[in-house]
Amino acid sequence: MSLAIAGMGWVTPLGRGVDSVWEQLLHGDEASATAISEEFGHRPYSVFRVPESALTGLAHPRLRRASVISRFAAAAGLDALRAAGVKLDPQNAERTALIFAISNGGVIYTKRFYRDVVDAGAQSASPLLFPETVFNAPASHLAAILGVTGATYTLVGDGAVGLAAIKMAEDLMANEPLDHCLVVGTEEVDWLSCDAYRRWRLLRLTPPIEPFNEQQRGMILSEGAGAIVLARDGPFTIECAHPGGYFAKRAEAGEILKRILRDLSRSEVDLVIASANGTFVDQAEYRALKAVVSNAFVYTAKPALGESVGAAGLWQVILAAQALRSAELPPVLHADPAIALQLSLSRKPLVEARRAIVLSCGVNQQAAGLRLAIR
Amino acid sequence: MANPSSPNGKKVSARVAVVAAGVVSPLGFGLGETLESLRKARDCVSPVTRFSVAQCRCRTAGQIPDDRLLASQGEGIRGHRLHRASHMMIQALREVVTQESQFKPELTVIGTTSGGMSYGEHYYRSLRQAEKLRHAPTWIANYPAQKPVIDAQQAFGISAPCQVIANACASGTNAIGHAFECVRSGRYQRVLAGGYDAISEMVFVGFDSLQASTPEKCRPFDRHRTGMVLGEGAAILALENLESAQQRGAPVLAEIVGYGISTDNFHITQPDPTGVGARQAMERALQSAHVLANEVDYINAHGTATVFNDAAEGKAISELFNGVPVSSTKSMMGHSLGAAGAVEAVFCLLALQHQFLPSNINFSASDDDLDLNIVANETRPAVLRTVLSNSFGFGGTNASILMGKFQA
Repeated sequence: MSLAIAGMGWVTPLGRGVDSVWEQLLHGDEASATAISEEFGHRPYSVFRVPESALTGLAHPRLRRASVISRFAAAAGLDALRAAGVKLDPQNAERTALIFAISNGGVIYTKRFYRDVVDAGAQSASPLLFPETVFNAPASHLAAILGVTGATYTLVGDGAVGLAAIKMAEDLMANEPLDHCLVVGTEEVDWLSCDAYRRWRLLRLTPPIEPFNEQQRGMILSEGAGAIVLARDGPFTIECAHPGGYFAKRAEAGEILKRILRDLSRSEVDLVIASANGTFVDQAEYRALKAVVSNAFVYTAKPALGESVGAAGLWQVILAAQALRSAELPPVLHADPAIALQLSLSRKPLVEARRAIVLSCGVNQQAAGLRLAIR
Repeated sequence: MANPSSPNGKKVSARVAVVAAGVVSPLGFGLGETLESLRKARDCVSPVTRFSVAQCRCRTAGQIPDDRLLASQGEGIRGHRLHRASHMMIQALREVVTQESQFKPELTVIGTTSGGMSYGEHYYRSLRQAEKLRHAPTWIANYPAQKPVIDAQQAFGISAPCQVIANACASGTNAIGHAFECVRSGRYQRVLAGGYDAISEMVFVGFDSLQASTPEKCRPFDRHRTGMVLGEGAAILALENLESAQQRGAPVLAEIVGYGISTDNFHITQPDPTGVGARQAMERALQSAHVLANEVDYINAHGTATVFNDAAEGKAISELFNGVPVSSTKSMMGHSLGAAGAVEAVFCLLALQHQFLPSNINFSASDDDLDLNIVANETRPAVLRTVLSNSFGFGGTNASILMGKFQA
């Protein structure tokens, strides 16, 4: 069964709006890094944050106390529905499913809640913060804003979780009499997540992210949300949502990526939106791309937008759709020209490009992919 | 995989068999111990020992003893580093694999709420209190929610892609329900489904801060109920297209026959007091199974023993069903959150296989506002053909599954 993308919404460190962010990427813009610190932390970390202006005009009682992760998700989700021309009412709300992709979740409120417990004991724990620490809080808020009364799911995973959520949407729409499925990937950034990734040797302290570099200097975290409305009809078709899999060791990531690429490249593909982020992922993707689709153009937006983990897969799908729609690719930033892939360091026209693969390799053992075509 | 189709091209739903099951919970390790505890209506709630609860109202929980849980230290992987949740999942999957070594899943769907949360606590506490962080990489690597699922699959050479559902306390039932629909649609032949959660200080304190947990006994649906106690556990069901299972001679323990999901949007922590969310989930499960309400022989309720949950769920049950026996097995082991739906599905499976009603212990007085037939304090023999299991969670997420005794 193939599904179509009927609308998209995008909240990124380069601002909000699919066309606006895309134009900036085409011009070679990259997000500005800001330093975040922690009172007990030894060092600040550089991150790409969503500008406050991106959430202007977003108001709802359910969002009053909600963490930014929920606000990003609501903004992207509402934009995607608007772009798809879908207005939910009590009649069709039951026939619309909501699937969220999340990795670290509401880490800011979780940290604040537990800080009170550590510092002052259980009696200081906040009953207002605790519900916002739950993984499905962002989905709950958006469901309430939209009035969704049917299926709502939150999937948790690493950077590949966004594509897993799209695969789940495909299964749901095959199983149930649904008209639409809104898939949202969202993430917020905090010093604590930076410190955790740094201790795991996946983070670098300051930009840039150097994609496909053998040195693997690390990633820079970012935040935001991406949303797509899946429907029976629309300008882009998801021809194949690959179930992906997991790898036991980092050194084995390349093999599963090769398998995914082989399965997805049975139809001719023009470009691959990769997940290269400056970590071990890059060499795994490099080897797989070289081995399976060496002629396809390759693009990664992570040097420009950062690694948004739970939101990343949805961002990649939006990038693939925009590349096919506008028939061009933005420049890959901070890449070594000697890398033996079809990377373009400047804005690249795509002649008669029809199909794109989105390849996602997470840093916590999961990998997935999908193939997208323009009608 | 194509959808199975009838000659006129209409979609035909496949029957979904449970061909193996594994469980670990405060009630025991494996189906045998669990059955014995259920039959004896054991109270498996005990004082919390894993962290300080001196400042909490509630000081008890259903807990799995580490001396048994950690004894196996994983299966061929560095077990001593794994989180307790990974050991629980390994334990549950070992039992499945022992029953059905030929079961090769195409997908694994597991529910959880908090992954390896206690490792996240160790990491944060060490940072905050400037303690040694030598073990931080291990804590961080074993914190993600998908890690216990991958660890368990890896331990038994299973390579299926994983979907980890975090729909709060409905996660386990959502996982089984979604897996059921995947097999019923014909898109998959074999799916592993279940849930896990290990008790952690943060979650324990969180429920305590909401005053949702009780310093007393957990008394679901009782007039004097005062709240929940937490629990922990893991359970996995192996679901397979019935025809495929029969062709390869696999035992059929029961069938999953229906699934309903709803979202009520009333409040992030409280159910709609009219019970509409719970009612919709149960109605949709009945519709999905083409089963009438009067054909349901037993309901394993969500039954957390909070005033609000039991009132809303009780109202929905009494409106939909007429005197069906109801119990909340959380009275025996506490609320295991993301594992609850999966653990309770195993309880339903055992009830169907052995034809008895699990009990709702600590029950002393009926709530005049709830017209329910509670299976109070001891198990009862019964003829069971179809049973319903409910799970409801934060965020207004509600899920129900229907299971049936297998009849060829």
